[in-house]
Amino acid sequence: MGEANQDTELVRLAQAGDERAFEALVVKYQRRIARHVARYVRGAGDVEDVVQEAFIRAYRGLASFRGDSAFYSWLYRIATNAALSFLKRQPDTVLLGDDAPEERADAFEPGVSDAEDPERILMASQIADAVQRALARLQPELAEALTLYEVEGKPYAEIAGMLGIPIGTVRTRIFRARDFIAKRLDPVLGPQRDRRW
Amino acid sequence: MALKASLLLDGQLAPGETKAALDETTADPVLRDRYTVYGLVGDVLRGNSTPDDGYTMRILERMRREGARIEPDYDPLAGDQ
Repeated sequence: MGEANQDTELVRLAQAGDERAFEALVVKYQRRIARHVARYVRGAGDVEDVVQEAFIRAYRGLASFRGDSAFYSWLYRIATNAALSFLKRQPDTVLLGDDAPEERADAFEPGVSDAEDPERILMASQIADAVQRALARLQPELAEALTLYEVEGKPYAEIAGMLGIPIGTVRTRIFRARDFIAKRLDPVLGPQRDRRW
Repeated sequence: MALKASLLLDGQLAPGETKAALDETTADPVLRDRYTVYGLVGDVLRGNSTPDDGYTMRILERMRREGARIEPDYDPLAGDQ
């Protein structure tokens, strides 16, 4: 999370026609956008449709993004609009209040919220367990840096200040933490590289 | 080189380094995969439990199928479109 303008360069490259840069942003934000959409839309299939629509709208309108806000904030608003558009097309939808999403206890889990798909629920659970197990085995200083960044949303510079270390050390610790966990995830994820990106 | 994939994910590279890191990451299947898994780790830590089922690829496939392209006059925030 961290710095507000951290996506500036990828957005700039995408605006200049580098499709891979936009794909990198899709990889980065698809789960967060799915979680947001799931506050409005029920059913994993419909959530996924709306997420896809949101990214398509964002790509089509990428030239209009001026960087006045963070890219994720812009994308979030697009996803909100896409979700509301979807709801308006549903004959039995009643929006409560001012476009307020219905708060749902089961909100999110892209692709996991369908009760009839226990295999995917199991896969998600195995991944989450593997990440938590690996996190517990990490050297404390690595786990601390990763948690401050990913969970608490602290920018790299702030983490450096909090821990009293150079920012370069923050970069290295976060990378080492991620890589440690990723390697322990490999047996759970399996060789599906062509299915991820 | 996986360090660069991590820095790319977090926007921690200097402007002049980002394109080179994107080139390296996307050209190497292992680095490309690491980029996705690093992102997955962060999402799981934030509570976004998720299966590994090709969600990203389906987004990209639909974009290609629909011929999505950047449109200079399209405003994605202008309500229903």
